[in-house]
Amino acid sequence: MVGGYIPFGMQEALEILAGGGCVPYAGGTDLMVKESAADTRYVFLHRIRDLKCITVDAEYFICGACCTYTELLRSRHTPAILKEAISQIAAPAIRNTATIGGNVANASPKADAALILMVTDALVRLQSKRGVRIVPIKELYLGRGVADILPDELISEFWVPLSRARLPYFYEKVGARKALAISRVSFAGIADVSGGRVNHVATAFGAVEDVIVRREEIDGMLTGLSVAEAQALKGEYLAAYDAAIKPIRGRVSAEYRKAVCGNLLGAFFDSHIK
Amino acid sequence: MKAISESVVKKDHKEKMNGSALYVGDFPTEGMLHGKLVRSPLAHARILSVTLPDLPAGYFYVDKDDVPGENIVHVVQDDSPAFADGEVHYIGEPVGMLVGPDEAVTAQLAGAVHVQYEELPAVLDMEESRVNFFDYHYSRGDTAAAFAEADRIFEETFTTGYQEQAYLETQGMIGVFDASKVSVHGSLQCPYYVHTAVGKVLGAAAAGVQILQDYTGGGFGGKEAFPSFLAAQTAVAAYKVGGRPVRVVFDRREDMEFTSKRHPSKNTYRVAVKDGRITAMDIDVRFNSGAFTTLSPVVLQRGIIAAPGVYNVPNLTVRGRAVKTNTMPTGAFRGFGAPQTFFSVEVLMDHMARALGRDPLEFRREHLVKQGDLTSTSGIYHYPVPLPDMISEVLEMSGYEEKRKQYTAPQTGRYKKGIGLALWFHGAGFTGSGERDFIKAVTAIEKTADGKVEILASNSDIGQGIKTTFAKIVASELGIPYEEILIRNPDTDRVPDSGPTVASRSLMVVGELLRRAAIKLKEEWKDGEAQRVEEHFAEPDFMIPFSLEDFHGDAYPTYAWAASAVEVKVDSLTGVNEILGCWSSFDVGTPIDYNVVVGQMEGGVLQGLGYSSMEQMAYDEKGRIRNNSFSDYIIPTAADVPVLEVQMHVEEYPFGPYGAKGAGELPLVGIPAAFVSAMEQATGKEFSHIPVKAEETLDV
Repeated sequence: MVGGYIPFGMQEALEILAGGGCVPYAGGTDLMVKESAADTRYVFLHRIRDLKCITVDAEYFICGACCTYTELLRSRHTPAILKEAISQIAAPAIRNTATIGGNVANASPKADAALILMVTDALVRLQSKRGVRIVPIKELYLGRGVADILPDELISEFWVPLSRARLPYFYEKVGARKALAISRVSFAGIADVSGGRVNHVATAFGAVEDVIVRREEIDGMLTGLSVAEAQALKGEYLAAYDAAIKPIRGRVSAEYRKAVCGNLLGAFFDSHIK
Repeated sequence: MKAISESVVKKDHKEKMNGSALYVGDFPTEGMLHGKLVRSPLAHARILSVTLPDLPAGYFYVDKDDVPGENIVHVVQDDSPAFADGEVHYIGEPVGMLVGPDEAVTAQLAGAVHVQYEELPAVLDMEESRVNFFDYHYSRGDTAAAFAEADRIFEETFTTGYQEQAYLETQGMIGVFDASKVSVHGSLQCPYYVHTAVGKVLGAAAAGVQILQDYTGGGFGGKEAFPSFLAAQTAVAAYKVGGRPVRVVFDRREDMEFTSKRHPSKNTYRVAVKDGRITAMDIDVRFNSGAFTTLSPVVLQRGIIAAPGVYNVPNLTVRGRAVKTNTMPTGAFRGFGAPQTFFSVEVLMDHMARALGRDPLEFRREHLVKQGDLTSTSGIYHYPVPLPDMISEVLEMSGYEEKRKQYTAPQTGRYKKGIGLALWFHGAGFTGSGERDFIKAVTAIEKTADGKVEILASNSDIGQGIKTTFAKIVASELGIPYEEILIRNPDTDRVPDSGPTVASRSLMVVGELLRRAAIKLKEEWKDGEAQRVEEHFAEPDFMIPFSLEDFHGDAYPTYAWAASAVEVKVDSLTGVNEILGCWSSFDVGTPIDYNVVVGQMEGGVLQGLGYSSMEQMAYDEKGRIRNNSFSDYIIPTAADVPVLEVQMHVEEYPFGPYGAKGAGELPLVGIPAAFVSAMEQATGKEFSHIPVKAEETLDV
């Protein structure tokens, strides 16, 4: 028999987690399909209002970890790039209950919402009874299924820099079908090109390696260049990614994953670095 | 539209909508024992010993030694044991069953049964099989001479993969043995097949055998033969525990991994062409039967009879083999062998037309069979072949000609489009003389003294609406409101054997028997008296008797026909295809209920699109099927349903009720070829297999 707690507030939840041996339960769409050990104790988070905020301030789009995909899709604050990724996740029934926090906490390289948080260099706010930690999402991922979240910590919020989230973007998800499909390859790119100069470029590749691929040093090749200079570097830029990406073989071949990554990166480059 | 075609509320609508319909998993489990099969983890091995864990009181282990009759599950032949006897032949073969009152404890104990095996060499690949379970040959004309005189010879090999039925409700059975009678009920298509199988394993131990169909959540052929196995095993367990019901309900993974699927195939075609016309085909068909014969002979028969397609091929040589491998026995699935060969011949027609510089549709038209022509087995197409008109209907619906031309021109940009077309038939009813020699269907109508009319037939409603269409036919002949006709889920204690629910036969064959029975009852109707009328199958006089020895004669009394166009869009960056539309004309004779038939047609088309575009199932180097869940075995979702247009073309069959023919299987059969044809135009590549993967459309 699965047992658990239903805290009514953040402090209560953190107290319970501090006691140890509990698994946070948000939307439950991943946990429900797993066989849980008989002595599993969950902390059900659905009553905690603090985890449900969606807002913007001068610098950030801020959303609580327990916002469901449907709530994010309905909010006028949610950036278009995040909405586009979310609208292709699973199916309406799952989007009604699955949360963005769960998507990140799973630390899956196939997480579609996390891909957007990666490409926009979002910050993750972690809370525990001991205090607050704010971590760039890129540093959160330690390996496949392993995130730097301590057993007594909860993800409380994501902070997405508006300067990134509102840039022109390119997003593509390759799944085996149009709904209820786990990504076989996913790609997001954003670019800030103005006054003939490339001010910022960021890309992220999902479902190709053990963690979402975000190579700032390669994208950085283009930063500060004139458009003409950047275009002249296209071959080198694509080659750098070609050398960097080491896809794993899974339901599709590594060669296919690599080819699609290259094609999508090239299409992003052509449509946005101009 | 005939009055009989007008749609009504389905007979089982209310109980399915309000939830009162009980499926096998819905029965209250109080007092029931749960059964869990102990399965072979190896593809081929000798059983050395079985060591049981300590069984608490009330828990039992059941295996071959508990079978009171013969340890054989009868399908067509008698080679499959109910429980393994000394040797296992595929991963998942049942060795025994653990039975007990607590489901979780039962599963745990089943996992703790220690079977010691000596592993034996396993043959997994069809190519390496040295055992032909069945090896059929037939020919007509002089194939060798035609090849000698040919000015062009084509040869190509086509392969098709597994397809899982993916019915909503998994397999399940409940059995109870009481006072020498065994009763088994569950999710099934063919009550009398199960009846025979259960009778055989219990033998003299059961004075009576009763099989009941529960409400069934889909079958698609997957509940044709397989329930005989599960029912036989459950009945043996019920016999051992005595008096208490035993329930075995598979979870999805168990169902996907260890129940029958569509036969994978490998088909080589050689074609002789002279002066632009096909003069001969030499066809070699191979189906992977898995470890036992089950339904393979009949699946193979239908497959090879359909092998030359809808074309007049004057000289024909066909060989068909069902080969043994150490894999899960394959079985029935909508289309029953025909999808594999129709895929092959239709894609081949495209490839040959391309090589000959001909338009694929014109090339097809020149070779179409017509009324009076010989069938592949030297029977006759006794009735009009409406394909020319149906092609025109599809061309108009789909805009095929304009699109085909447009997409032939070089396409620039990220997405490339293509449109393709396929033609096919489905032989209506059992193949060959099965209806006459084996099934010998009997059906009855009973009327009570107060005038209540009940239909007695063994055909099961598995979602296809047979309760509805049977009731409409009887109501129409008796002049009684449809709502007042009674029809229940079949119970072999009450209904005669009107045959199985298979082969698109129920409506055409049994529906006609019921129509005649209703006419008889009307003639003999006496108010205030209980009456019963029966009707027995008789083969129509026009049939040329079919001989299985030389594959000669009418394999089917008539045919359902189909023409379909599929349009796709392929993303050149990712290789992912999107099906933009599918336009079809289907001739199933008179639709007995328009909504029921159109629902069947649309569902079948979608199942065909899944088969060709995304449904991928394979075993690993040990012979284990790994993708045994819906997150790994990908079938189309509602979001993947393209524009689906279906038009009914009615060519009446005089020996079917009101002109109806077989309908259920037809829509799936030729869809894969239309899909592949469209994909070839969009990508400029040639494909000779399904499913086509995104990876193959990219050059990686």
